Amino acid sequence: MSARGIGGAVLDRGVVPLLLLPSVILLLIILVGPFFYMVWTSFTDLSYSIPGRDGNFVGFDNFRRLMRDDPIFWDSFFLTLKFVVWVVSLEFVIGFGLALLLYHFIEKRRLVVTLLLVPMMLAPVAVGLIWKLLLQGDFGMVTYYLRLVGLLDIRAALFSDARLVLPAIMAIDIWQWTPFVTLVMLAGLMSLPREPFEAAVMDGARPLQVFRDVTLPMLRTIIALVLLLRGIDAFKEFDKVFILTGGGPGTATELLSIYTFRVNFKSWDLGYGATCAFMVYLVVLILCSVFYKALYWKEGRAPAARARS
Amino acid sequence: MSRAWRGAALAAVLAILVVALTPYLWIFLTSFKSRLDALADTPVWLFTPTLEHYPTVFLDKGYLPLVWNSVLVASSTTLLSLVIGVPAAYVFARHDFAAKEDLFFFFLTTRMAPPISVVVPMFLLFSALGITDRPLAVILAHSTFNLSLVVWMMRGFFADIPREIDEAAMMDGHSRAGMFLKVLVPLSAPGLAATAVLCFILSWNEFLYAFVLVAFEGRTLTVGIPGLVTPHGTLWGQVAAVAVVATLPIIVFTFLVQRHLVRGLTFGAVKG
Amino acid sequence: MGVRFEAVSKVFPDGTVALDRLDLTFETGEFVVLLGPSGSGKTTACRILAGLEEASGGRITVDGRDITGLPPRERGMSMVFQNYALYAHKSVYDNIAYPLRVRKTPKGEIDRMVRAMAALLQIDELLARRPAQLSGGQAQRVAVARALVWQPDICLMDEPLSNLDALLRLHTRTELKRLHGELGKTFVFVTHDQEEAMTLGTRIAVLNEGKLIQFDTPKRVYHQPRTRFVAEFIGRPAMNTLEGEIAGNRFRAGGLELPVAGRAEGPVVFGIRPEHLVIRESPTAHSIAFELDVAELVEPDTLLFVRKDGVALVARGKLDPDRLSKGAAVHLEFPEDQRHFFDAETGERQGEHQGKHTS
Repeated sequence: MSARGIGGAVLDRGVVPLLLLPSVILLLIILVGPFFYMVWTSFTDLSYSIPGRDGNFVGFDNFRRLMRDDPIFWDSFFLTLKFVVWVVSLEFVIGFGLALLLYHFIEKRRLVVTLLLVPMMLAPVAVGLIWKLLLQGDFGMVTYYLRLVGLLDIRAALFSDARLVLPAIMAIDIWQWTPFVTLVMLAGLMSLPREPFEAAVMDGARPLQVFRDVTLPMLRTIIALVLLLRGIDAFKEFDKVFILTGGGPGTATELLSIYTFRVNFKSWDLGYGATCAFMVYLVVLILCSVFYKALYWKEGRAPAARARS
Repeated sequence: MSRAWRGAALAAVLAILVVALTPYLWIFLTSFKSRLDALADTPVWLFTPTLEHYPTVFLDKGYLPLVWNSVLVASSTTLLSLVIGVPAAYVFARHDFAAKEDLFFFFLTTRMAPPISVVVPMFLLFSALGITDRPLAVILAHSTFNLSLVVWMMRGFFADIPREIDEAAMMDGHSRAGMFLKVLVPLSAPGLAATAVLCFILSWNEFLYAFVLVAFEGRTLTVGIPGLVTPHGTLWGQVAAVAVVATLPIIVFTFLVQRHLVRGLTFGAVKG
Repeated sequence: MGVRFEAVSKVFPDGTVALDRLDLTFETGEFVVLLGPSGSGKTTACRILAGLEEASGGRITVDGRDITGLPPRERGMSMVFQNYALYAHKSVYDNIAYPLRVRKTPKGEIDRMVRAMAALLQIDELLARRPAQLSGGQAQRVAVARALVWQPDICLMDEPLSNLDALLRLHTRTELKRLHGELGKTFVFVTHDQEEAMTLGTRIAVLNEGKLIQFDTPKRVYHQPRTRFVAEFIGRPAMNTLEGEIAGNRFRAGGLELPVAGRAEGPVVFGIRPEHLVIRESPTAHSIAFELDVAELVEPDTLLFVRKDGVALVARGKLDPDRLSKGAAVHLEFPEDQRHFFDAETGERQGEHQGKHTS
């Protein structure tokens, strides 16, 4: 190899880490920086509303307050969990069911899926807006038809009734995100090899047995992926609820991110607000790790492990 | 599969499509309804359309600059994320180094970061830097999740191209950089386009960062929406017009990239 | 009784005719080979028999019972797939046990049968492994075990050896033959490899372009091919075929002239297998001299590619290729009892002292 050739190779090798640097630096500044600042703030008493509180260090006071003295936080936390569990379960069941329907019975799948994408590609704020109109008490289109079929009382107003508002929010989220589950599960179904299914049929299995013994196990990883992805996103939910109810009536729909928003931008209790924000981040981080493990569980099963024939 | 099952399935799918699409159809129609029609007790499906709301809200009420801001922010963050992210993706796809997967996990967490957790300190930081209330603040904020999207998606697309192509290109005389720019990037063009469109969509639809980081001048369209919904009499025709403009371009874009959507939305785990 | 295809046809939505009124009958206990090139319909016929595909026309009966519309699980057949189709998420044991579990066989029985089958196929040490940890040959044997464990009357195999390397293929071939002998079930084996067909089958069904060309024992398919297609398909290297004419008791093709007796005049296709050409050192009364092009060693034989006046032939014999050089003279004899004649238009075999029929 000529001298220039060796030099070129070294340059090539040297270039590689440089390519990563800009992205890492940008993220460090824009995200990691603020993250650590948030952590720092959670140890202070910073507040824009209470005089004298300009960021003095208070140790674990905020955390103690969160753990012991803030039932509203925990109400919100469990409300959010309830929201996540309901919404993800229903989205999964309906979405998977729809994917199966499309896979087995419908030929023009692509067309149907493309149309189904509309709800989930709308800006969540816009989704909130659309349903605010549809569920309006006096002239909402959906309220009208619900009342017509007797599902809704003539005097009930969805967004001011504490019992109806959370189911309504959940229904809207399900409307928006079920197509996502369908999209992913359908892709998963279509990626499965045909032969094990034919083998199962030849082995004598009925359609339901084939589903239980072959389809589900082979889709295991994708199912885990979908559940985790939706779980994480549902936990972070903010935009729709913000514009639909702002967390109300009262705190009936105050999901964790809405509560955190209120503490930070209504009460301007930024020290404590950072503590809340940190908790939200923590839960998401844990879910992320699980997601990542699930992803690599799938990768690890690749044919790399297979012995040579 | 028997006819009866097929018929039932078709009916179910049609019903679901109606449920999925009618809400959007309704807001679309409402944007063309006169005030009377929009607020009627009984839903009005056939009416004389009016175009008055669009000019009223965008010109008289000054919402047009918001559209421009959305376009500016979405395009800029897409460009920035691509320029920085694509080379990074290449590194992940083709090279091995210590802590590679840990670094990749780091990129994942940035995409998953809850905006509410980071927006306040981000605001304080941007205030200190003096860039609040300018599109730049939102562009940077959006790049936090778009960058990871680009890295994750493009890593997958590059990995799909066999290593042998790199090697053939270099045997043909390209330098590593030349091979990257003249061979790999063109080959992954469809994936690149899909990633770009997805970045654009995610930025365009985003609310919280844009809402907090920018007060008046640099507001994006999504931020303008809550402002139209007031406790005392919302002008639904106009609100609908804004909603339509805020969403129609995205729907068009979605149809363009729907082939690659699955990959983008599942972090490359499912190819679709 | 046995298995009977009655005018079975299959036309695909895009118009391709995969099977054209197939009529085929074979008895239980046979090792039937469906042989043909790609597109011949052999796999389609197998899959229709299995119930994995629907016939467009005709019907299939097994021991007199019409099974045409039945789903696979009611047909009493099992299948071994070309790429094994093992359940990746189950262990080898569970793979083999699956057909028994589905049929609700009692647990003790399942265990006994699975282990017996594993022993028979010599995979008993692999029972705890997963398919991803198996080599190709091992995976194939698991697939066979799974197909045979519940003792179906008929076992279908769709090119099961095609994905194995050459050595393994030969070995597994012998194993399959042994299994068939021991179990006495009906095997239906699909392949494009004529050597496999010749060694394994009790009878071979040669298919081409969706039609059955010949259904006979290997010996008869080899010695009495019904058409030119069969003649050229069977045997490696393929039979030499020459298009020429018979006039005045002589066959002429290019520069070659052969005395023939008792055959009608007119165009005809002449065939003779490379291994039946007799190679002589020096000219004899009946030999014709050719010029050597290439000599190939396929131990223990040698293939001689010769030509003369526009006619090219392959001869197969036991000689030392080093003793011959390009352009050397090779003297070939054409034994009368090894000659084949085929109709120039239809490709059909012409019997002894037979000529062209005007139809």
